[in-house]
Amino acid sequence: MGTIRIENHEIPFREGDNILKTALAAGMEIPYFCYHTALGSLGACRLCAVEITPKDPGKAPQVVMACLEPARGGIEVSISSAAAQQVRQKVIEFLMTNHPHDCPVCDEGGECHLQEMTVACGPPYRRYRGRKRTFTNQYLGPLVHHEMNRCITCYRCTRFYQDYALGDDLGAMRLRNEVYFGRFQDGPLASPFAGNLVEICPTGVFTDAVFRQHFARVWDLKTAPSICPHCSIGCNTLPGARDGMLRRVRNRFHPDLNRWFICDRGRYGHQYSEHPARPLTSRVDGAKVSYRQALAAAAEQIKAVGDKTGGLGSVREDLEGNTLLRALLNGFNGIFTAFSDPRLEAATITAVTALQNTTGAPSLAEMEQADAALIVGDLTAHAPMIDLALRQAYRSGARLAVLHSGPTPLARFAATALAIPPHEMSVCLSHLSERAAAPSAANSNQKEMLANIVVSLTASHRPLLIGVTETLSASQIAVLAQLAAALGPGARLAYALPGANAYGAALLSQTGRATAMLEAIETGHIQNLIVAGNDPLGDTRLGARWRAARQRLDSLIVLDCVATATAEAADILIPVAAWAERSGTFVNYEGRAQGFTHTFRRPEFLPSTAEVIADLARHLELVLPDIAAALGDTFPGYQAPVPGAPGSPLPAPAIPMHIDTTIHQGCESHPGRWQAALSTWYGDDPLASFAPALTELVPAVAALISPAAALNEGIKAGERVRLQGPAGTVVLPVQPDNDVAAGTIALTRAVLAQLGAGHGDPLELEKVS
Amino acid sequence: MEAVLTHHLDINAPLNLQAYRAAGGYRSLNAAFDRKPEEIIETVEAANLRGRGGAGFSCGLKWRLRGADAPRPRYLICNIDESEPGTFKDRHLLYGGPHQIIEAVIVSAYALQAEQAVIFVRGEYAKGGNGLRRALEEAEIAGLVGTNIGGNGFDLQIEVHVSGGRYICGEETAMLNAIEGRRPNPRPKIPRPSVKGLWGYPTTTNNVETLVNVPHILLNGAAWFHDLGVNGGCGTKLFCVSGMVQHPGLFELPCGTSARELIFEHAGGLAEGRTLLGFLPGGASTAFLLPEHLDVPMDFDPVAKAGSRLGTGSIIVLDDTTCPVQVTLNLMRFFARESCGFCTPCRDGLPYLAQILTAIAAGEGQAEDLALLEELSDIIGPQSFCAFAPGAVTPLISSLQGFRKHYESHIATGRCPFDAADRNGA
Amino acid sequence: MNDKLDRQALQRHLDQLPPMHPERRAAAVPMMQALQIEHGCLDDAAVEEVAHLTGLSVTEIDELATFYSLIYRRPAGRHVLRICDSVCCSLRGADRLLIAAENYSGVPLGKISPDGAFSILPSICLGLCDQAPAALVGDEAVGPLDEASLEALLQRLREED
Ligand SMILES: Cc1cc2nc3c(=O)[nH]c(=O)nc-3n(C[C@H](O)[C@H](O)[C@H](O)COP(=O)(O)O)c2cc1C
Ligand code: SF4
Ligand code: FES
Repeated sequence: MGTIRIENHEIPFREGDNILKTALAAGMEIPYFCYHTALGSLGACRLCAVEITPKDPGKAPQVVMACLEPARGGIEVSISSAAAQQVRQKVIEFLMTNHPHDCPVCDEGGECHLQEMTVACGPPYRRYRGRKRTFTNQYLGPLVHHEMNRCITCYRCTRFYQDYALGDDLGAMRLRNEVYFGRFQDGPLASPFAGNLVEICPTGVFTDAVFRQHFARVWDLKTAPSICPHCSIGCNTLPGARDGMLRRVRNRFHPDLNRWFICDRGRYGHQYSEHPARPLTSRVDGAKVSYRQALAAAAEQIKAVGDKTGGLGSVREDLEGNTLLRALLNGFNGIFTAFSDPRLEAATITAVTALQNTTGAPSLAEMEQADAALIVGDLTAHAPMIDLALRQAYRSGARLAVLHSGPTPLARFAATALAIPPHEMSVCLSHLSERAAAPSAANSNQKEMLANIVVSLTASHRPLLIGVTETLSASQIAVLAQLAAALGPGARLAYALPGANAYGAALLSQTGRATAMLEAIETGHIQNLIVAGNDPLGDTRLGARWRAARQRLDSLIVLDCVATATAEAADILIPVAAWAERSGTFVNYEGRAQGFTHTFRRPEFLPSTAEVIADLARHLELVLPDIAAALGDTFPGYQAPVPGAPGSPLPAPAIPMHIDTTIHQGCESHPGRWQAALSTWYGDDPLASFAPALTELVPAVAALISPAAALNEGIKAGERVRLQGPAGTVVLPVQPDNDVAAGTIALTRAVLAQLGAGHGDPLELEKVS
Repeated sequence: MEAVLTHHLDINAPLNLQAYRAAGGYRSLNAAFDRKPEEIIETVEAANLRGRGGAGFSCGLKWRLRGADAPRPRYLICNIDESEPGTFKDRHLLYGGPHQIIEAVIVSAYALQAEQAVIFVRGEYAKGGNGLRRALEEAEIAGLVGTNIGGNGFDLQIEVHVSGGRYICGEETAMLNAIEGRRPNPRPKIPRPSVKGLWGYPTTTNNVETLVNVPHILLNGAAWFHDLGVNGGCGTKLFCVSGMVQHPGLFELPCGTSARELIFEHAGGLAEGRTLLGFLPGGASTAFLLPEHLDVPMDFDPVAKAGSRLGTGSIIVLDDTTCPVQVTLNLMRFFARESCGFCTPCRDGLPYLAQILTAIAAGEGQAEDLALLEELSDIIGPQSFCAFAPGAVTPLISSLQGFRKHYESHIATGRCPFDAADRNGA
Repeated sequence: MNDKLDRQALQRHLDQLPPMHPERRAAAVPMMQALQIEHGCLDDAAVEEVAHLTGLSVTEIDELATFYSLIYRRPAGRHVLRICDSVCCSLRGADRLLIAAENYSGVPLGKISPDGAFSILPSICLGLCDQAPAALVGDEAVGPLDEASLEALLQRLREED
């Protein structure tokens, strides 16, 4: 660490850093286009010109590019020198020879880096008298709009898309002043991170196609710090609203989590809150009523059945809503859980317990530093930004191993990718764990590959183990934790949890409650069910059973902001605010509590879940603690995280739980010839599946099986099969896929729901002639 | 003077391996293998063999600076991308004597202890590239290329890469990208290719003309090479003379021969009754010289002293019937068209210059245009990413100085004074 | 044109890339050249095949294909005539040749002549300045040309196959 003089200030620098990075870190402005903290220096735009005066008085001052010039002790840097200003002015003049003068109608207006730089550095008038070059644009799908004439060729888009996010369907074509950033042919961008182009582009070439449909000027947008509600990472976001309508979501920098980027589910999933079918008025028995009437009806129901009431919270419901619902249930000794599926309940609680027993899950920034990683499941769909973090680890040389049952994009970058049928995953994980504890000789090809994984994890300094909770059983999750422990204190453990507040929800739930609740309904011990942000009737595995149980209920009271199957079936439906319309707290996969605050209010009266429950309690004349007190009771020492701050660990008492890691060979062995695997995609979660632009991109529905299995069965690609599950049959075309394990049929959530099968459940397959 | 590099060249019937050997070819291999690699590098450095690809950097010094302990594998690239307007010497070497090139690559790779060599041939010379591949096969079968060459443990693999075609591919870092199958944009200059070149390994790039001198230096010594030149130059040079001369052509002459001798004796002088307007001494990216410079020795330092560069040693001659504005515009269009599009000054600045020149040439120039051309060039040249744009503005800047009156009269009269003249003299 | 390509030779080429080239992308340009000879130009199908062979995506291949002047993404005539328009040839009459060529073929430069016989493209310096004004017919050099010899050449190409 030395110091360099920039504009007559002594600025410390790190060895190897360039002048631009050094200056920016010290809060000094040097104009630039092609440089980006995440992407590094390129040296293409030539805007970051500065004048340096070498230590040696014999040497003349020289204009250099700050992004390419190493910071060195003793040199003087001038940003404001006339020579440097001249260069910047000319660079802008050159860029503007072809840039259209369309600022008044440009989507980027108000947040255009080019516009700002032109005003700050450029010549005030145009001298170029020639024609501008013109391009035709491409259709890049429903998320990103293309306007190539505005391009200033800083290569940020392809460097992000190809080099950083490892996508391969956007590139730089042609040369000279005709360089064109686009695809081989028109068509949707395939990367789950494509939406970041909108922010990475310093001008209006790539703009938000969804925002365009309801465009507003940036300065007219109301914004507030928020947290993405679409998965357990808790990326920081900045929703923008105008006229009572949510228009868009942008990334908001969080130093340990998402930093400059978010995934497309996070950027475009928000459209669920503008979905035409979104419930906005209360309903009782199908009739529209006022909020008060709905509350009164709900209170009456609850009073009528006394303590025979259950409360189902949710992994996507905020900490406040879940906590208060639980407090309400405690008020009359009812059952509360946040999970409609006991398996997921056990898995999530086990994952949280396992994390509580370690140093805790690493942040995304820490994950990027891993030098080896074992991934169990498909992270791209369940935690897209962990996938992006692991792509960075891969770029820096980390060896990735992926155990998966169905397709997963990360397999492409893995040193070892093993397709394992769900029912063999336990044996596989146990084998890894045993091997890590006591190495032994391999006796099969698969075991040899597993042995290699252990070797690579053991040999690494910062190994990382990550499991996808939704496709793992509680015991598998526990075995993964054991493996981490066996690898020593350097190993880090993380789980992609099943919702934005799954961690918090798990702390409020107890293993076995989901089963107890369902059975209590089936036996009539619960006659009244309050559901907040959950969809038991649409559950993949147990939906049919829940639908049957629902018949036994006196009343189903639903609080939600999307039209789920459960909301549709509600006796009393009370619409609540979507996340950007309320304040609340999500606890992410690390156990980090992050606050979000409402960006705007809709014209309709839409309280938060916690507010509804508080109102309900008043109607019931029940004394409930207020939210702050309820949270304080549950989490001793709790302080509400400040929206916009980086969040803090949720002070949670350890879950007293015995983790059972014995693998019951009998019950996990394969019961039939075929079993289901959940195969979803990055745009899929209970909320985002109501976002029209994203759902345009849903992959074609098919039964994915391994090519070997297809050959065995004599089924060709596109031929149809009939699948039979506990709840029904579905006929689908077959698509052979190398990433699907033997004996496994990879299916979407919706198909699994129709079949009534969960990940790992047996299915029957029959060729349709 | 006896021809050295062109002695056995025959564009129509290049020597096959047998004939080339009978004529004394591949003798330098034994001379090389008898010596330590460092000794060869010392000899080449002592001979003061300077790069023939344009920059004129000392070949021996470049080799020494790569370092004897550079990590392996090491690469040698022989540059036959020759696309500099006015330059056709490498085509003669390629089509006329492929074995001479292979011999040169073998001994140079030995000196550098490089086990991999790529000969990069411009796409327009594909036919020459095929001839080279056939010659390479012959050499491989004869055990001149491959493993344990000459029985002394030296392994060498040679590949002929025929380019997809673009001037920028001749720039040595763009060429690395081209060979690796990436877009041929230039790479940053730090780290240098000699440290981190092809696939991240030490890589040395030389022009083919530079390399074909090496076997002769090995066989005859540094002093002999010095003696070949005149007026302080070393070795012979393949001079190309083209443009408004009677007999355009390739001439192998002592380095340091004057432009006057080249133009008026060897290339047959100008057409009857014409006078010399000026000339580019080293290809399209060098500065114009004027009749007063005719006696400057065509050697690296003297031409630099006269304000230009020897470049590739390719003289392009303008006579008094040629419009220097038109010629400069042609050059600028060439460079604007061939810009790789990576950095702003080059990508968007050169078309800007071409646009202004187009207006002036068409008689639509404005009084302030000349100052604007200079103002823009002063930024475009020094502030671009690679050496392409400095080369592109060099002829313009010198043209604006040397032929100022012509520009002024275009603007003042609103027409090109040469419009009526017959510009198809020669 | 339309010579059937030896696919095994392409595969051998790929197999022989290492140790000189650790990545298969090094084969992209040679593969594009080989397939262009077979297809007449690097059409979409050819791009797909090169992508398949090299393990790159079609977009990545297109990034390369669209950079190079000798890779044609659009169909060309049976013969491709590249007339140099750089400084030495221009000094010696290339501009007039280009006009004559356009007039003779009846279509703008770059387009295929109506009978499909040839495409005429302006080119950067071909390294034939000693034969200026010069051109390449396929890989064959011709020059010095004048309007009459150019027309004769085009006539000949028109009559060939
Ligand atoms: C735009 C550009 C084009 C170049 N083209 C060629 C070329 O066609 N052939 C060549 O030998 N060198 C060319 N060079 C020079 C090479 O970068 C490199 O300096 C040279 O091959 C080194 O060989 P030498 O030291 O033997 O001259 C070019 C340089 C630039 C900047
Ligand atoms: S990774 Fe998850 S939390 Fe982050 S932006 Fe995407 S969906 Fe939202
Ligand atoms: S930021 Fe330095 S050249 Fe672009």
